[in-house]
Parts: sequence; structure tokens; C-alpha cells
Amino acid sequence: MFRWDVVWQNLFSTPFVTAAWTTLWLSVVAQVIGVLLGLLLALMRMSRSPFLSLPARFYIWLFRGSPLLVQILILYTGIPELFHNQAVTTFLSAYVVILIAFSLNEGAYMAEIMRAGIESVDAGQMEAAKALGMRSSLGMRRIVLPQAARVIVPPLGNEFNNMLKTTSLASVIGLLELTGTAQTIGSISFTTFELLIVATAYYLLLTTLWGYTQNWIEKRLDPNRNQKVEVETKSLTTRMVGFGATRSK
Amino acid sequence: MSVVIQSDEMVHAEQIVKRFGNLTVLNGVDLSVKRGQVVVIIGPSGSGKTTLLRCINHLEKIDSGRIYVDGELVGYREVKGKLMEDREANIARVRSGIGFVFQRFNLFPHMNALENIVEAPVQVLGHKKEEVTERAHALLAKVGLSEKAKAFPHKLSGGQQQRVAIARALAMNPKLMLFDEATSALDPELVGEVLKVMRQLAEEGMTMVVVTHEMGFARDVADHVIFMDKSVIVEQGTPEQVFGHTQHERTRNFLGMIAE
Repeated sequence: MFRWDVVWQNLFSTPFVTAAWTTLWLSVVAQVIGVLLGLLLALMRMSRSPFLSLPARFYIWLFRGSPLLVQILILYTGIPELFHNQAVTTFLSAYVVILIAFSLNEGAYMAEIMRAGIESVDAGQMEAAKALGMRSSLGMRRIVLPQAARVIVPPLGNEFNNMLKTTSLASVIGLLELTGTAQTIGSISFTTFELLIVATAYYLLLTTLWGYTQNWIEKRLDPNRNQKVEVETKSLTTRMVGFGATRSK
Repeated sequence: MSVVIQSDEMVHAEQIVKRFGNLTVLNGVDLSVKRGQVVVIIGPSGSGKTTLLRCINHLEKIDSGRIYVDGELVGYREVKGKLMEDREANIARVRSGIGFVFQRFNLFPHMNALENIVEAPVQVLGHKKEEVTERAHALLAKVGLSEKAKAFPHKLSGGQQQRVAIARALAMNPKLMLFDEATSALDPELVGEVLKVMRQLAEEGMTMVVVTHEMGFARDVADHVIFMDKSVIVEQGTPEQVFGHTQHERTRNFLGMIAE
């Protein structure tokens, strides 16, 4: 029988609050590294030099073409076996493995998103920047990337939403994020189902909050945000019976 | 640093050859623009006139020849008689003294008119923002757009965008202005307002190289007119010589087609 009391007892318990925090910070750190790595890979891939573009292509091919779970297991079990070195094994703790695996994997996906974003900006923009005496690095930073951001942010938001949920894979190597916590505590007290519901509630909370944040960021990147657009919104009564208050947004 | 030759020449180009793959776009072109001179380049599409203009600030690499702006070799340095492409920082420095106005304006859409103008003097020349902002307002007034300082490019007409683009280039205090078909992308009724600003600049003594299809502008404003066709300069001289006493058949054909 499903026990709601177990759900309520655990919803605000220390293990789950801690686990939610773990899920959140793992996601944020891996996403930030992924974005930076992705930018680097995107610039390398777009380079005319094959010494830069070929390694980037290979990297993206490798990490997008193999499952993240396999990458995690290779890092966690395969690499230490290969080295037979205590220092390597100690260094590759569950946290480090998860951060490395998620960042490297995310970098490959972000690289393609970044590339699409940068390529969406008209080539005339970089030309105009150069004609004004900017070096390409400055033109990229001040002119191209801010415009590319509008194209990059929506898929980046989806990536982060995915990231929040994909961290559940960390449970397979015993890391106590939300899913791992639910399974571990649940298997002791035979309440796995209830605790997975608790974990789900936290995932929904995190992704919902992120949804609002993403909306806010996208609005800020809209160049029209400084213009006050008067939109007359008809009230419910106006729409239904033809008279009533109108309000401006 | 390359050797700086002092002379009354602002632009000096010798035997410029530019190829795109197998296609030769510039086939040994010479160009000389004196300080304060307005040189207008005319010619049919594909004649190489835009490419020539783009070579002057090294937006295009050249295959051979030499281009000097204000006595300084553009885009290359000479190593034992051979030309090597210059360091990016040097190319950027040379470009910062040359204004370029694009056919498609290329304003920065994420910045308003004022920010478009302020951007490069602050970021490239390291000037103080307050001082540049003041200068930018003066430039906006000069191009007749004082009220549009806060307007974003997509809220401006083509003519207004192009005038902001001219103000943006002028904010760098260039010694030379290059105009690449600055009015070709405009609706006919908006051409006049941009040409007016260009005329005013010419009267103030700005050194200008102008690629255009506006024959009226060429006739009235140019000190020197160059007619290009099929990758070479066919004919050049004062407007009176080129338009009044046309020497070459190709020029005559072109001018005839334009007049129709």
C-alpha cells in the first residue's frame, strides 16, 4: 500500500534537502563547464585550420555518439583499472567522475548549439566590427556572441533542464543525489516507491524554477525590452459580454 | 613597424591583383587618392569596384601588389622583399583609422543608435565613455538623427540606419572614409538623405572613396571619377572628362545604359 505519511515525512528531511542541493550544484557546475568547453570546441570547429577543427570534430563525434552512462562507467571503473594507481583511483571519486563525465559530455552538445548560434549571426556583423578596428576576439565577445546568445539560450535552457534530470545517472556509482538517496533509503525501509515520489517532487520543483529563470533570461535578451509596447488586454468580461475594464500591460 | 612615407597621397595602390579561385576580380589595378580628395568608382556589377574598396582596409586579402594608406602598408609587412600577412593587432590598428560604410549598414542590432556609435571608440581606442557619448550625440545631430539616440536599428528606416552607420564610422575620427554602395539597398525616397550627409562630409574636406551607382553624386561631388569594367580600370579623370568627353566605348555603353 502506498504510504503518503512516508512521503510527507521525507519531503523536508535532511537527506533529501541535501540530495536536492547536490543535484543542483552538480548540474550547475557541469553545465557551466560544459558551456565554456562548448564555446572553445565551437570556435575550434569553425576554425579554418584542420589542426583545430579536426580534434574538435573528433571530440564531438565521440561524446555525442556514445551513451553518457557508458562514459561514466568507463571513467569510474575502466580508467582506475587501466592505471592500477592508488592516486588515480582516489582522485576519481564519484563526485569527480560525475563532474568530469557530465562536463565533457555536455561540452560536446553545447559545442553544436554554440556553433549554430554563432553561425546564425550575419557575417556582416563581424565585418563591421573589424572595419571599426576590432580584433576578432573583441568582435566575437562584444558583437557576435551577444547576438548569438538569443539563439543559444533556448536550447541551452533545455540542456540544463535535461542536466537536472540526467544527474540521476550518478546514482549508479553510488552518489547520493536525489535518485540515489531515494533508492538507498528506500531499500532499507522498503519504501522505495514513496521516496521516488519525493525525488520526483524535487525534480519538478527544480525544473519548474529553472523554467521561470529561463523565461526571464530570454526576455532580457530581447532587444525590444527597452521599448514600452502598449498592449491593451481585454478583460474577461469585455471578451465575453462586450464591456468592462481594459488594462495595459 | 613598416616605413611610413609622407606624401600628399592618402591611398596609394600599385598593381593590385585579387583572385577568387580561378576568377580574377582585380587584374593589376593602380589607385591614387590625394588628401581631401573625393574619388568615385563607377562600373557595372562584377567589375571589381567593391572588391577594390574592400582591399583598401584589408577586408579582402590581395594576391599581389601593394596598398598604402597614409604611407603605411595595409595588411602586410615586407620580409626580404616578400609580403607576409601582418599581425592581427596591426591590421586592426590600421583599420581603426579608416571608416567603412556598408551597403547593408551592418548596424549592431543589440545596441541602440548611441551605443552603436560609442562602442568602437571606447572598446578599441580606449576613450572615456562620457566623452565619446558627448561626441556621439554631436554626430547624431550632424546626420540629423538627434531624436533617435535610443532607437534600436530595427526601429529605424534604411536611410536612418545608414546615417547612424556613417556616424558610427566618423566616431573613430577616420582619416579616410570608404563607401561601398551606401545607397544601393535603400528605397528610392531614402537615397537623398544619405547622399546629403555624404556631400556634407565631402565639403568638410574628408578624404573619400565612394563606390556608387549614383551618377549625379559622381558628377557633382567627385574630384576624380574611375570607371572599372572586367577587373581593370578602363578610364579615369575629372567628372567633366569621364562624363563629358568619354574616351572609351565600354564607358560610353555603361553610361548609356545607366541613362536609360
